[in-house]
Amino acid sequence: MSQHFDDASLQSRPTDVIRRMSNKGLILGGIGALVTAMGYFTQNETFFQSYLIGYMYWMYITLGCLGLLMVQHLSGGAWGLVSRRVFEAAVRTLPVMAVLFLPIALNATHLYEWARPEALADKMIQTKAAYLNLKFFYFRAALYFVIWIALGFTLAGWSAKQDVDAAVIPGPEDRKFRMVSGPGLGLYILSITFMSVDWMMSLDPHWTSTIFGVLFIGGAGLSALAFNVVVLSSLAETKPMSELVTKDRFHDLGKLMYAFVMLWAYFSVSQLIIVWSGNLPEEIPFYLRRFSGPWGWVSVAVLIGHFAIPFAFLLSQRIKRHRKLAARVALFILAMRAVEIAWMIAPMVRHEGHNGPNVFDFAAVLAIGVVWLPMFFSNLGARAVVPVHDPYLKEALSHDAH
Amino acid sequence: MHNTSFPEGDFRAPVPVLTPGQGYRSITDKLTGLVFTANTPRAWFAFVGVGFSLLMCLLMALTWLLLKGIGIWGNNIPVGWAFDIINFVWWIGIGHAGTLISAVLLLFKQDWRMSISRSAEAMTIFAVVCAAIFPIFHTGRPWLAIYWLLPYPNTMLLWPNFRSPLIWDVFAVSTYATVSIVFWYTGLIPDLATFRDRAKNKIVARVYGILALGWRGSAKHWYRYENASLLLAGLSTPLVLSVHTVVSFDFAVAVLPGWHATIFPPYFVAGAVYAGFAMVLTLLIPLRKMYGLQDLITMHHIENMAKVMLVTGLIVVYGYACELFFGWYSGNTYERFMLINRTWRGPYAWAYWMLLLCNFIVPQLMWSKRFRRNIPVVFFVCMFVNVGMWLERFVIIVTSLHRDFIPSSWQMYYPTRWDFLTFFGTIGLFLTLMFLFVRVLPMLAIFELKTLLPEAKPKASGDGGSH
Repeated sequence: MSQHFDDASLQSRPTDVIRRMSNKGLILGGIGALVTAMGYFTQNETFFQSYLIGYMYWMYITLGCLGLLMVQHLSGGAWGLVSRRVFEAAVRTLPVMAVLFLPIALNATHLYEWARPEALADKMIQTKAAYLNLKFFYFRAALYFVIWIALGFTLAGWSAKQDVDAAVIPGPEDRKFRMVSGPGLGLYILSITFMSVDWMMSLDPHWTSTIFGVLFIGGAGLSALAFNVVVLSSLAETKPMSELVTKDRFHDLGKLMYAFVMLWAYFSVSQLIIVWSGNLPEEIPFYLRRFSGPWGWVSVAVLIGHFAIPFAFLLSQRIKRHRKLAARVALFILAMRAVEIAWMIAPMVRHEGHNGPNVFDFAAVLAIGVVWLPMFFSNLGARAVVPVHDPYLKEALSHDAH
Repeated sequence: MHNTSFPEGDFRAPVPVLTPGQGYRSITDKLTGLVFTANTPRAWFAFVGVGFSLLMCLLMALTWLLLKGIGIWGNNIPVGWAFDIINFVWWIGIGHAGTLISAVLLLFKQDWRMSISRSAEAMTIFAVVCAAIFPIFHTGRPWLAIYWLLPYPNTMLLWPNFRSPLIWDVFAVSTYATVSIVFWYTGLIPDLATFRDRAKNKIVARVYGILALGWRGSAKHWYRYENASLLLAGLSTPLVLSVHTVVSFDFAVAVLPGWHATIFPPYFVAGAVYAGFAMVLTLLIPLRKMYGLQDLITMHHIENMAKVMLVTGLIVVYGYACELFFGWYSGNTYERFMLINRTWRGPYAWAYWMLLLCNFIVPQLMWSKRFRRNIPVVFFVCMFVNVGMWLERFVIIVTSLHRDFIPSSWQMYYPTRWDFLTFFGTIGLFLTLMFLFVRVLPMLAIFELKTLLPEAKPKASGDGGSH
């Protein structure tokens, strides 16, 4: 394998591959969009619940990419260099995500029990009205997007500038990435915690769990890593990524995915054991709703699909190192992320009648994808697929030689 | 190895783990010389003197405890659990750094762990010993503890309550102790053989020889050794999470406000690693000076440990923030009362603010590279963290218990002199064991350090080398 990467070959853009991936996304998403449109007319009651599921699914991929972008600036390592442009392309969809939030914001009274005027009759909701009120809710949402967009676009912008300025002085100039990423991660973790409370946990204003933010930070990381593996696997079909994203890189990313599967399982089971043992009337309904009735089987599916299967497959070194097999496991994880998010959101709001999962929940995931994915792929195609002039690129990639 | 030149002070530049200029021979001489010497540093006697005196206090406190019963402690109703569990959790937490360094950093291929892993592992074992004293003596009749704690088939068909996390603790901690000891001893074997070969005195050589289990350093031995280390590292890694997770369940599965929080498991694990790294630094900074190990335990090590402390400390602070926010957000009267009592109106509010000073405010100094590389500052921060992590358990345990659901049962808790004697006594035990270890065993992994030397690396065929 050649260790000498010249600028021209690194700068070359695999437009064909990107177009092909984008088209696949469009077809799948188009079907989802059609079904969702049908849902809008037939399932008026649950439509926005399904929309929220689809929205949160992509939000966590986007935010997971933002988190990992900052982590790799701090940690260094070849896995981060080959993934950086994928993360950046995902992060740059944030303005679109802000627009896609509008249907949720405008229908907040429909979705969130606490947002309805009659909610104040409920004493429990009354006690938290200082936090759970529409004005503050909108303000916080705006604040989250400001934080994320500022962090994401600053880092992605500097990274793009590196491509243009051929003569980059490594070191001091490069330090700014870390100066932003360190404190940025702190802000990120706080904002994603409160966002998860606002947009998901508050669907059931009577229920709380202190691990909720951590659970979804882990989930976001897993979503982003799996998405990244799927994209890199396709990009690695042609040059230059075929030479950069080697088996070792898939191995690294596979190990990270494995760690995040374990972390997610650890956070989930911690919550389960503590809530189950406490058996308090304000907490246990969370599991009672999910362990019986239509969600019972979904719970089993989450246990097996979100933990046992990826755990078993990712133990194998052969699978982790295999470009296509790793991507298949990652795709499976991405599918299970949708199931887990639906499992989390829907039982909080569907109490009577048709309270089980419905097909529109998953159609909505695809439907948001029809907006998100083309945006992502156009971002990805607009720049070189690796940070060509990053001072650490050659250093990191030369490790393969040993 | 690589031709890329990194700018001055760049954190991603490959840093030599050891100060250049070391050789196979100089490392062996240096580290065996620490043990085979007639000139034990004076400071060693001072430390052991202090440690041993405190150890005698422990013996006295425990003897009195056995004679009188646990009534000599300050525990009361409702604070039925105080110093015993605070100190247990504090010591168990401290042990975590050793496991993390030797297992997790081994799997992550972090070279810098090699200089500190041996002493950190020893610290783990001694910390577990200190921790175990508290629950065992809290049973009042420790000679019956095994009979109460371990499930075994008996004619009376009596079993411990398997739904209680206390019995999970017994399994978690005993597994932890066993794996830690085996891991540590396995790592010692090649170095014990070095000591056997270096010893001038026949009896000493004999003793090290027996401990070295016939190690001759053949290729087969090394092959098996490497496999065993990897397997033990794999076994230890889940233990980093599981032990403190189970410890956190001791509190979290109860329905007491301040204890019943789902974030407890990850928050306790982060706290354990935080406390552990602070303790490793607290011990290594004086040891390094005392034995002149600056070339082997470099600023690079100290800086890395300071970074781990900063990150885990911030995770712990995130845990405090979640406790505050969700306590309020729950809307539960008792949860909200607990918060006000803990942070503002309660008689122990001072402990909470001290805790924030120690665990949150002071460690922020570690953001600065200059401070991370300044030994007195790092040591100063570590002392705050050591105290802060103890206060954290005090705040969680005592402030939640002393004012529970019924005001008529409220009661203040005051530790007695026996509580303090027992606690400081375990510090004495810890110091004594640690300094005895340093005196008779290699405190740095000699053979592992040698793999860091340039001559241990196969010559790379230039930058353009191929697979």
